[in-house]
Amino acid sequence: MAAAVGRVLRLGGRWSAAVPGGPRAQTLRLIYTTTAVQRKNVGASGPEKYTEEFIKKQIEEFNLGKRHLANMMGEDPETFTQEDIDRAIAYLFPSGLFDKQARPMMKHPTEIFPEQRKIQWGEDGRPFHFLFYTGKQSYYSLMHETYEKLLNVEKYQDQLTAQDFSPHKEKRNLAGSRWLTKIELEEMLLEKLSDNDYSRFIQLLEKLMTLSCGDIQDKYIQKFSKEVPAQLQKVAIEPLQYDERGVAFSTGKGARKTARATAVVYDNGTGRITVNGIDVLHYFPVLQDREQLLFPFQFLNRIGKHDMVCTVSGGGRSAQAGAIRLASAKALRSFVTEKEVEFMRQAGLLTLDPRVKERKKPGQEGARRKFTWKKR
Amino acid sequence: RLTQVRWSRYNPSFLEPEVNKELYQKPWEELSEEEKEKLELKAVRPIKAAPPTVSSSVFSDPMISKFTNMMMKDGNKVLARSLMAQTLEAIKRKQLEKYHKAPEDEKETIECNPYVIFHQALKNCQPIIGLSSITRGGKTYQVPVPLKDNRRRFLAMKWLITECRENKHRRTLMPEKLSQELLQAFNNEGPIIKKKHVLHKTAEANRAYAHFRWW
Repeated sequence: MAAAVGRVLRLGGRWSAAVPGGPRAQTLRLIYTTTAVQRKNVGASGPEKYTEEFIKKQIEEFNLGKRHLANMMGEDPETFTQEDIDRAIAYLFPSGLFDKQARPMMKHPTEIFPEQRKIQWGEDGRPFHFLFYTGKQSYYSLMHETYEKLLNVEKYQDQLTAQDFSPHKEKRNLAGSRWLTKIELEEMLLEKLSDNDYSRFIQLLEKLMTLSCGDIQDKYIQKFSKEVPAQLQKVAIEPLQYDERGVAFSTGKGARKTARATAVVYDNGTGRITVNGIDVLHYFPVLQDREQLLFPFQFLNRIGKHDMVCTVSGGGRSAQAGAIRLASAKALRSFVTEKEVEFMRQAGLLTLDPRVKERKKPGQEGARRKFTWKKR
Repeated sequence: RLTQVRWSRYNPSFLEPEVNKELYQKPWEELSEEEKEKLELKAVRPIKAAPPTVSSSVFSDPMISKFTNMMMKDGNKVLARSLMAQTLEAIKRKQLEKYHKAPEDEKETIECNPYVIFHQALKNCQPIIGLSSITRGGKTYQVPVPLKDNRRRFLAMKWLITECRENKHRRTLMPEKLSQELLQAFNNEGPIIKKKHVLHKTAEANRAYAHFRWW
């Protein structure tokens, strides 16, 4: 019994005391909830646990504490940023715990206490919002608003066609923006959404955007879209190195499944490739692997111009070929113009292949194959 | 609504890679509107790695690779590729024999390129309309249904391979039989073309049930 309780406590659940209803019952009953059952972040699970005054008090305490901390560390209280606070706390309360969330932290109360919805009904018990009894009032009100905007746009379009104005088509830059994810939308609405709800909302937004006069509702749409920075893929290309004979060379590393490869590509070569000290014809007897090795060179039309020396270990025949392909493509970036590097990236030569062998699951024969089903 | 059980190690925002070299040599003005949009999108989004079967050289052909994969048994890609190479060689040999024996005026009509023969043969084998079994009121009807492009290609290749594996003499090897079938399909003869015509005829016969289709 005690062991069971101990085991259950170690799972990280939470114990809360509850008073069962009724004026006569005076005993407290311990209720156990596991972390799986507790809902994360989103408010509206009941009446507010953190009142506004409570949070205001926490904010005042936080600001006072920040000034005290700055004085303790000997820094200026006015210009004490969050990073300085984190460093100071890590210095004053060193902790060897693995989980970053378990270490002592001092953050602004809005980051610690999740946003919660205020109580949505008045003293007489009547709810404020007319869609309260749907259960997801903010979601449905949002859908109604968006649909209203859509109808307005269509009416405007009809007006324009009635006056014989052709609607101008300005293509918005689709490439630079993305819609809010389901989690972000949930945080915005402070309500749980289902996948279906989320996809319906996105469909409405897409429809609004595809209409030619959707530009009017630009501001409304921008609330639900986020910028995707195009500078994600800017990786620094290393400059060419020169060896004793004056020949330019560059190195690259590649991996595929469990194989790891390094390639050194020399300039002014005759197209000889050496792998682990062995000629490529002997190391890769299969045509497909040799095709893969030559792929980057063939793509850039530089087949007879470079020499390559590579080392590879791990993986199988095909994985080693793929690893060397990636390594040589990365090495070739230093020899080639930026435009060609972009072409190589769009051809898929510079991406690390994330596909690895899927693990076997318990209760199944393999990763996907289940055991033979027997009726009895 | 169904959730997806099949997932991939890539993020859904990754796009497919484009291996063909010529598309990259086109200057920007020659591209159409859609291609320009696609280029802009590609400049921002990450791109998947090129699969190991695909290469930018002239010798790699997506149809041939697909056919090789379908011929492959137990993951023996080496064997499947060698069989494919032997098939293409056999086709070339047979056509060259015909070419050298033919009189002058017919020499131009004989096609010697095995890749062209392969593509044309597959095109000739593709059915246009297929049958799908739909159950209504306890009875299963064979309803004629238009087929999608990839389904047609798949059916043509599947018929070719099953035909070559089953209806041959015990001693004939796969390349020989395959080259024979491909040449016959190229000339619109042979058992696979017959199978395709039979399918078309049954679809025509079952025209009455066409209204059962709801998609």
